[in-house]
Amino acid sequence: MAEQQIPRPRNPEDDWKVWLVVNPSTWLIPILALVLLIALTVHSFILTSAKYNFLAG
Amino acid sequence: MAEQHSLSGLTPEQAKEFHEQWKITYTTFAGLAAVAHILVLVWKPWF
Repeated sequence: MAEQQIPRPRNPEDDWKVWLVVNPSTWLIPILALVLLIALTVHSFILTSAKYNFLAG
Repeated sequence: MAEQHSLSGLTPEQAKEFHEQWKITYTTFAGLAAVAHILVLVWKPWF
């Protein structure tokens, strides 16, 4: 059987099609939780630097 | 013709509708992050 040719997406106009694959009612909260985790990780790393420790007086 | 189901189960209309809100929220997040980085740059330049 001839291999089905799937047209390559054109972005950003086809960006919305990601939600035809990833269901936001399942994955929105995990995605936001990961963004928060990354932000907390980056901020805790920055706290370890003397120059940018925004908590030290 | 058999009804087309997407992998996620969303219809194209639902996907487009959600994506509009996603773009708004992401643009707001990126804007706030840009402002925060500018404030840090003013406070202590890192280059």
